Amino acid sequence: MKRQIPLIIIITLGFMFVAHSFIPHKISTDFFDWYQDWVKAVSPFAVSLGIMSLFMVHGTKIKRKISNWQYSVITLAGLVFTAFAGFMWGTQSGTPYMWLFENVQMPMSATMFALLAFYIASAAYKAFRARSAEATVLLIAAIIVMLGQVPLGAMISKWIPESSTWILNVPNLAAKRAIMIGVGLGMTATSLKILLGIERTYLGGGD
Amino acid sequence: MFETISNFVAAFLTLSIFSFLYKDNPFYKFAEALLVGVSMGYAIPLVYENVFMPYVYTPIFLNHKFIIILPALLGMLYMFRFSKNLGWLSRYPIVFGMAIIGMSIPMSLHSSVLVQMRSAMLPIDNINTALIFIGTVTILLYFFFSKAHKGVYGKVTNVGIWFMMIGFGASFGYTVMARISLLIGRIQFLLGDCLGLIK
Amino acid sequence: MNKNVIKLFDKMQNIDRRYIYIVVALSIIIPLLIPFNSRTYVTKPTEDIYKKIDSFAGDETKAILMSFTHDASTMPELFPMEVSVLRHCFERNIKVFTICWLPAAAPLVDYALNTAKEDFDVQSGVDYCNFGYKPYVLRLPIMLGMGDDIAKAVETDSQGRKIENLEIMKNIKNYDDMNLVIDFAASSSALQWITYARARFGANIAAGVTAVMVADNYPYLQTGQLMGMFRGLKGAAEYEKLVDVFAAYESKDYPNGRPFSKEIIKETRVPITGDTVPYKYKKARIGMNAQSIAHIMIIFFILLGNIGYFITRKKEL
Repeated sequence: MKRQIPLIIIITLGFMFVAHSFIPHKISTDFFDWYQDWVKAVSPFAVSLGIMSLFMVHGTKIKRKISNWQYSVITLAGLVFTAFAGFMWGTQSGTPYMWLFENVQMPMSATMFALLAFYIASAAYKAFRARSAEATVLLIAAIIVMLGQVPLGAMISKWIPESSTWILNVPNLAAKRAIMIGVGLGMTATSLKILLGIERTYLGGGD
Repeated sequence: MFETISNFVAAFLTLSIFSFLYKDNPFYKFAEALLVGVSMGYAIPLVYENVFMPYVYTPIFLNHKFIIILPALLGMLYMFRFSKNLGWLSRYPIVFGMAIIGMSIPMSLHSSVLVQMRSAMLPIDNINTALIFIGTVTILLYFFFSKAHKGVYGKVTNVGIWFMMIGFGASFGYTVMARISLLIGRIQFLLGDCLGLIK
Repeated sequence: MNKNVIKLFDKMQNIDRRYIYIVVALSIIIPLLIPFNSRTYVTKPTEDIYKKIDSFAGDETKAILMSFTHDASTMPELFPMEVSVLRHCFERNIKVFTICWLPAAAPLVDYALNTAKEDFDVQSGVDYCNFGYKPYVLRLPIMLGMGDDIAKAVETDSQGRKIENLEIMKNIKNYDDMNLVIDFAASSSALQWITYARARFGANIAAGVTAVMVADNYPYLQTGQLMGMFRGLKGAAEYEKLVDVFAAYESKDYPNGRPFSKEIIKETRVPITGDTVPYKYKKARIGMNAQSIAHIMIIFFILLGNIGYFITRKKEL
């Protein structure tokens, strides 16, 4: 019963939503309004999962003094202090909470992604090899598109941005469209499997 | 003065992350640990103010809409996710939130499949539409793995591979642009906001 | 081939990658320190968004919604687009709403609004309204709910005010009025707007995406499901130019901006060196200079790496 009742819930509600997509009757819209109010009340508690997980993982590291456990102290201290700052002094602009976001989180998360530029340059030099005809075609297309996006490409020749546009509008379009149709069919199949109770991985392990 | 200190802190943390390019070091590890903690801690008051208060506290305690107590109790069941004996209780809020997937079946079928198929079935009146049609069909045939890619069928799917390589080349070109843009943003911050060299 | 040349390429193939990092850093730092004027060519996907937004100018019964679905990591590409769109709306008296779905996006919305509104006499709740942060799990119900009644679906704005009481909501009920949604994201989140808001309610959807997602969104552009698209930093640079040339243009004949014209945008060059345009409104165009040099550098690395590979492979054979 621990798995059956959730399955019954998702099958019932899921098919009601399928029907709601096609039925404009008041009963259908009332059902959707009811769901909206309830899901808004359920949602804030999901953040507790993230907090609990973080405390469990880093708490264990600190307790057992696993290598680099000192950094787990910093993680938990950062979490507690930021949350405390938000509750104590508010979340408006000019508060310690927003200062932490603007001067600690924002720069660091932006920099994490900026590192990728270096790796892509390194990969371009060391790993991108035209080992086959298909790989050569891939690299040529990439070079044309890269040049087509920058003003320098248009200065070299007007054919570069035009070729870049053609690559995006014809072969790239065909490739992405076919992949999209495949993904769309796959998504529909997976959603149907969830709705029919065949796909149950979201229920997790155990009874 | 305060802005200078703020910029200094942001620049120090930025350079700590960049120091990873030389090699892994305590500054990078410190910055990484701090990022994880602050990111999670940042979400908590925001969710409390923007979600819990207007959608749970206000309806129940101020508007006396006591029926909302039921979904609030349902949401609290999330916390049993890590319990060995009572973990099954966390399935209820999960399935309740997921139920809307029923709407995605007809709608994603429409947007991702039917509209795309309709657009691929245009009259073939010039070389470009012919190429788009051939490319779409050959790639779809390529992804049909129930039939061995041999003989004529193999040659047809090979055409699809060529189209995909050009498509991936275009994606790679744009990916390079994206990554470089992110680095440009950080360098603009360091040179402009911190050192005042860009105006 | 000369043994020394082969030896040189062999050495270069095994070069420490930290030297490559230095070249990358210099190729971006130098163009930023020494800005130069380069031409920004405006393309159709960006033009279409500009024309659509401009068609709402001065119309009290129309508005646009800017949906922020990204965090600070993708700000360099998306922030200039957002500021340009807001600047366009404030210049041409177009009602604009903003909403975000990630906790980290909430201050970015405020930052964009504060940056853009510095030069304009606009009021929250009258000229613009920030719906604030709504959790991602509520995205679908709110997206669908806005098709019937925006005030009912969203309820409160970022300052806790009831939306139905705000002056900006006069004549704005649902997607028929808030007729253009621009989704700024680093993912394929525009697909959700297309699937739910466009398919069901006929809303016009545009996307402001990071360059990574551009190629994947082309099928939607071609079918018309997306009426326009900002393509990374280049798209931001194009829109900055469009706003400078048309919306922010002032003359005796056009005191509040001039209408879009393909001939004018083709011929007009907007210099970014000097004080012609405030820095915050030309960030993307300055960035595109560095982008040009960096792209040349990457292409050079690819070619050099492959030349070295073929030469050293020949030596082994």
